Amino acid sequence: MVLSKNKKIKWLVIISFSVVAIAISISAIIVSQKVLPTEDLKLAREALTIAKEAEANIYSEKIYKESVQMYDSAMINWSRENTRFILFRDYDRIIDFAKRSKKKAEEAKEEAIKKSANLSKDVQAAFVTLAKKIELYNTLFKDLPLPKSVFDAHNKSKMFLSESKIAHERGKLKDAEVLFKKAEIYVNHANIAAGKMLRNYFEDYSKWKRLANDAIDASRGGNKVILVDKVAHILYVYQSGKVIRSYSAEFGPNWMAHKERAGDKATPEGNYRITKKKERGNTIYHKALLIDYPNSEDRDNFAAKKRKGLISRNAGIGSLIEIHGNGGKGFNWTSGCVGLKDKDIDDLFRLVGSGTRVTIVGSIEPLSVISEGLDF
Amino acid sequence: MKSKLIIAIAAMGVAVLFSSCAKVPQTEIDAAQAAVQDVKDSGADLYVPEAYSALVDSMKSANESVEVAKAKWFPNYSKAKEQLAVVSQMSIDTKAKAEARKVELKAEVEAMIIEVKALVEENKALIAKAPRGKEGKAALEAISSDLSVAETTVTEVEALLANGDLIGSNDKIKAAKEKATSIKAELEAAIAAKGGK
Repeated sequence: MVLSKNKKIKWLVIISFSVVAIAISISAIIVSQKVLPTEDLKLAREALTIAKEAEANIYSEKIYKESVQMYDSAMINWSRENTRFILFRDYDRIIDFAKRSKKKAEEAKEEAIKKSANLSKDVQAAFVTLAKKIELYNTLFKDLPLPKSVFDAHNKSKMFLSESKIAHERGKLKDAEVLFKKAEIYVNHANIAAGKMLRNYFEDYSKWKRLANDAIDASRGGNKVILVDKVAHILYVYQSGKVIRSYSAEFGPNWMAHKERAGDKATPEGNYRITKKKERGNTIYHKALLIDYPNSEDRDNFAAKKRKGLISRNAGIGSLIEIHGNGGKGFNWTSGCVGLKDKDIDDLFRLVGSGTRVTIVGSIEPLSVISEGLDF
Repeated sequence: MKSKLIIAIAAMGVAVLFSSCAKVPQTEIDAAQAAVQDVKDSGADLYVPEAYSALVDSMKSANESVEVAKAKWFPNYSKAKEQLAVVSQMSIDTKAKAEARKVELKAEVEAMIIEVKALVEENKALIAKAPRGKEGKAALEAISSDLSVAETTVTEVEALLANGDLIGSNDKIKAAKEKATSIKAELEAAIAAKGGK
């Protein structure tokens, strides 16, 4: 009876073990059939790293973020699945997230490469445009008697452009773009204000043209005539309708204005004559050719403006406007005279005598020629 | 008696089987994650982006290894633990690299600030020498304005530096240096022109 009971237990244990062994084997087979998301997640992670290297987080922010979110979702889901009983775990969703993450990361990388290349091109093109605008200022506006706010804006634009270029060199294209836009705002402000001043100045162009043509005509009989172009900063000597000499000239800081009174640092415009030749020793400016400013027209204008109260009662009309030496400083420094280099006044001094006609105009060329088609 | 022994052995076997299921190395995970965050807070993503990116990738890889281990019948976290230890060490190294880069960059910016300040002073001295009075007052005003932009930038750079923005301050001071250098050249040319007549 005891033997029979023992046998029964023995068989029970054997059967139990067999059942457990079979269950474990079946489970092992089931588990081994399940594909873990390891490889897909690894690929997604690697794709994300490559995308980040391509700065997709900056240039393809939306797609890159989606990719990161999908990777994170895959990891969260994997962790959640791992808390379930092993036989009931399902990795399909995780694999799907990982695959989508990888795809998005690749898309983000492609977009980032494309966008950063385009942005780099745009920024470089913008540098060229901005450099042109700065050059336009330097060519056309730099010597204009502009208010401080205008040249401050111009200077700020140059600083922002430098910063933008440095950011671009570092590959920080977005920073470069922001800085460039700041530079553009300042340069536009400066150029618009200066452009307006120049346009207003050129409203007298037809008068200048007439004066210049008269002066050239007056030279056709063989007389030498001096024609001064203030915008071009050039003094021409005409004879028989042709230019026989030209010299770089400098004026007063307020050169754009027509001289109206003493101390306004403006250079007069109109027809004058040389009244006196001053040799060395008679002038502090090497040599000088005194002209007959103010002429009768200047006196009439001065009197009219004084009557209208446009000029102070105590103001004088000014005098001693000369073509003299000591020039070549590279900026407008005289008190309204025409400054030439010493060697040029030497040459001019030999060439012309007292009584020579001197015509001073704002510009011989129209604004369209001066601006060389540049838009401002 | 024999059957009781068999039952005991079987029970022990099952006990050993289940007790061999290792625990998730949560302490190591938390420590590694905190270390990575600490590295990020140190600005490593800005100053040593490549090293920081490698660190983040390693942390993700370690997290994946934890899940791989969890997914098994009998989890074994030794590989994940090794990776987490590497992450912790990498964090220390990356942070050190970031700090070193910051020190280097700060020294560069500070040196450049001194250089630009000296250039500004040199330029001021040159302005004093440059054609003045009626001879070039307007031109000097324009140059002085240009110089004041450079000077203002130095002040801005000092503020950025005080706020710890080393990269921004580095870019700005480089631009200020360019500006101050070009002004110096302009002034020297003007003075030379005056001297040369």
